[in-house]
Amino acid sequence: MNSFFALLPLLIIVFSSLLVLILEVFLKKENKNYLGFISLFFLIFCGIIYFRFWNKGFSYFNQSLVLDKLALFFFFIFALAVAFVILLAMKYISLQDTNYGEFYSLLLFALSGMMIMISSLNLVVIFLGLEVLSISSYALAGLKRKDEKSSEAAIKYFLLGSFASGFFVYGLALLYGASHSMSISGIIDYFKSTPELSLMAPVGLGLVIIGFGFKIAVVPFHMWTPDVYEGAPTPITAFFSVGPKAVGFAVLLRIFLSYWRATESESIFWLLWIISVLTMLVGNLIALRQTNLKRILAYSSIAHAGYIMVAILASDGSGLLFYLTAYLFMNIGAFAAVIALSKKGTEYLELEDYAGVGFKYPWIGATFTIFLLSLAGFPPTAGFLAKFYVFSAAVREGLVSLVIIGVMASLISVFYYLRIVVYMYMREPSREIAINLENPALFLVLFLCLYGVLQLGLFPGNILVIIKEAIIALGVGPG
Amino acid sequence: MNFPILSLVTFIPLAGAILLIFVHRDRKNLLRSLAFIFAIATFILSIFLYVHFDPQTAETQFVEKGGWIGYGINYHIGIDGLSLFLVLLTTFLMPIAILSSWNYIQKRVKEYMIFMLILETGIIGVFISFNLFLFYVFWEVTLIPMYFLIGVWGGPRRIYATLKFVLFTMLGSLLMLVAIFVLYSTYFKATGVYSFNLFDHYKLILNPNLQLWLFLAFALSFAIKVPLFPLHTWLPDAHVEAPTAGSVILAAVLLKMGAYGFLRFALPLFPDAVMKLLPVLAILSLIGIIYGGLMALIQKDAKSLVAYSSVSHMGLIMLAIFSLNIEAIEGAIYQMLNHGLSTGALFLIVGILYERAHTRMIKDFGGVSSQMPVFSAFFLVCMLSSVGLPGLNGFIGEILCIFGIFKTNKLLAILGISTVILAAAYLLWMFQRMMQGPIKNEKILSFKDVNKREIAYLVPIVILMFWMGIYPRPFLKRMDYSVTDLLNRVNRKERIFVQAEEDKKALTEVNDLIDTEKNKDQEEEVR
Repeated sequence: MNSFFALLPLLIIVFSSLLVLILEVFLKKENKNYLGFISLFFLIFCGIIYFRFWNKGFSYFNQSLVLDKLALFFFFIFALAVAFVILLAMKYISLQDTNYGEFYSLLLFALSGMMIMISSLNLVVIFLGLEVLSISSYALAGLKRKDEKSSEAAIKYFLLGSFASGFFVYGLALLYGASHSMSISGIIDYFKSTPELSLMAPVGLGLVIIGFGFKIAVVPFHMWTPDVYEGAPTPITAFFSVGPKAVGFAVLLRIFLSYWRATESESIFWLLWIISVLTMLVGNLIALRQTNLKRILAYSSIAHAGYIMVAILASDGSGLLFYLTAYLFMNIGAFAAVIALSKKGTEYLELEDYAGVGFKYPWIGATFTIFLLSLAGFPPTAGFLAKFYVFSAAVREGLVSLVIIGVMASLISVFYYLRIVVYMYMREPSREIAINLENPALFLVLFLCLYGVLQLGLFPGNILVIIKEAIIALGVGPG
Repeated sequence: MNFPILSLVTFIPLAGAILLIFVHRDRKNLLRSLAFIFAIATFILSIFLYVHFDPQTAETQFVEKGGWIGYGINYHIGIDGLSLFLVLLTTFLMPIAILSSWNYIQKRVKEYMIFMLILETGIIGVFISFNLFLFYVFWEVTLIPMYFLIGVWGGPRRIYATLKFVLFTMLGSLLMLVAIFVLYSTYFKATGVYSFNLFDHYKLILNPNLQLWLFLAFALSFAIKVPLFPLHTWLPDAHVEAPTAGSVILAAVLLKMGAYGFLRFALPLFPDAVMKLLPVLAILSLIGIIYGGLMALIQKDAKSLVAYSSVSHMGLIMLAIFSLNIEAIEGAIYQMLNHGLSTGALFLIVGILYERAHTRMIKDFGGVSSQMPVFSAFFLVCMLSSVGLPGLNGFIGEILCIFGIFKTNKLLAILGISTVILAAAYLLWMFQRMMQGPIKNEKILSFKDVNKREIAYLVPIVILMFWMGIYPRPFLKRMDYSVTDLLNRVNRKERIFVQAEEDKKALTEVNDLIDTEKNKDQEEEVR
């Protein structure tokens, strides 16, 4: 075994991304679907290799490439998200006039960025991955070239994202200046060994948090989210709501699981505490007033970032992993249902359009309802169990007030999630909508997400075992 | 017994719901019959529970335990004297509810029946869970079908009513969830073991301050469900908008989940807090009794009259529970069953009238009994059962409750008895206005008397009313041991609040006496 072998999956993804770009030139417009299948093939191939890495625990290049179980676990989450998005997009991009091969290529680039971020303990390498992810994301957001909103989304995302990167790099510089190290463990050691911290290090850490705050869309760094989510092509929105968020939290988890143990400093804790509370409350409260489905889901994803933040505060790694897994299924499922309600050239995104959908399209209605109930945190779905783990861990750590705010925020969220259900089942349709039902890939995603939500909600035993292994591999093992 | 009968009773309705998904939506009669068959099969199975129930023990019976998720989350169900009859009530009323909506529900029969069956599984699950996590899951599961039942098949203001219902209930249950977390982590810190097992938590002696907060969280959730004044405002809305069968289940069984929650969880888990807050709770119950009764008097809509009568009756049940003696609590459980039967029956009766008249306004009726004599007889019996006429079930329950309350606090008993007086007033008056006197409305002339299907579901209820009114022993003797057990748990430190105060006074007097004598002795020694 050498380092090349450990790098292989990453190389495969980058290679496949380039291959898709080249093949795109030679394929006719109606055959672009093949590119999706090629991407899926490479994803699966890569997944198999990573599957074999599970017990190896590679670490190369002075911890710049670490394939511990956490990294592998997150890779599977990202790969699943990307695979779902590809399946969702196959029909969508031809219906909505976004039929470019770059779509798949950029998605794979984004995935490679996330892989770099998650498999490194060196903040500069993490930054590298972040930029690969971000730049492909900006392009993805603007992929609906003829749509003004999509272009607006791309510009907005690009400007704010660049600022965020700036914050991140500046924070990195300060951290390096203070600790003379770029690796997470080196920086944490510095915090641990220096009793009298200069202002430089905490400010640097704060700036890094701000940089990630943009990526994971927590209040007050969430402003871009609704517009970008609304403007971007819907499968891409689904990707944004899961992928970048998951990777942001993964890195934060790596930093803070050891940080909490290393220092007694309270200021960063309270900073995150306030961010978490604001995120839960603001996200849910603003969502109440939205009428566009994509915007509702955007604010809902902001609110969920708040809940996940609770897991970071409680240093509950397994809760966070479980939450992100559950969130992957329920959120992509919800977006899949939204994508299902579309026909050539039109997407139905207003609440009004959903009146009567539940009985007209019973399967879409029923699955969408289950995803919404899961997002709202009703048992016996994955969303409930996810909140359950995170909040119970937080109570164990004594964060009762935070948990009370959290459950009250999710009470607010029940209202707007159920409002969609109200429209689907309890309102008479005001206008007829016709949708294109010939979309087997989309129904496959709906079905898989439904399966995931119920499996995780009812019998999460297996996945919990895997999560526990992943967390123990970090050397931090809360129950 | 090795046969998992309790699990079967719980999950047969769910299996029925899953089966119904695959039946074509246009075969309405098949859908109805299947749902009915599954409900009746559940009922028949649940009779085995009654027959094989051992009344000579307070232990939980038909216990089934199994691993589930781990971390203390296990599948742990069973039945004891507190829950046996509530389960039976659920399984008994569900086929009746399905029969009652045979013709009334014409649109979306499939979804309706599916939700009814899921609801049944949820309710039974609440009554049999001995694992806090499992209990919470079932508790929330009942919410979703009820939300759809009111929201899809309800009246004109159904969306408002159903959202109010869900948000109110969620408010309570989410805070209860936090309290469950606190219990869970406290237990973990005390013992190093993860447990949601209720019996483990019974053993824990918590510090009184913590108990107070936890009790408040649990009590809020249960009090919303009961509903206890002033948290009742969702109830009239939900009842008025719900379809008949929804109202029946809501009043007869869902409200009991709140009272049951107090008995099973809030009281025995936090006895010290209960003692502290007992006066407040008793007074709130009393206000509920009187307020509900007075509101019922002035209602113009027959259904909301019955809804407010529920508030009043549940107030008496809660007052009896908070009296904490064996008569009162057995009376309360008995009265829960009575209330389930009689209020359920009254909702059915209002539903029968509504199917004919398409109105529920009391003033639109009058002289109906001459057109519908058989129906009138049923109405009379159910109404009198709710009023508490001797010979019918309501009497036994109310008399036990009042006895029990009287033992604890005479004033509360005297005021609490107003529930009977008020009930007589509003129900008799309603009966008189609707059924007797001259025929006010020509539409009434076209009313047909109850048909066979309607008789079929009213007769079992009436039989039970007489049985429970004349020979209550088989019911009460199955509760004795469990109720005594419960009281032992609650009274492990202090006794009933009023007496406790008196005792304290007496005790301090004795202490003072001893002190003065000691002082005297010391003074003498000094001399």
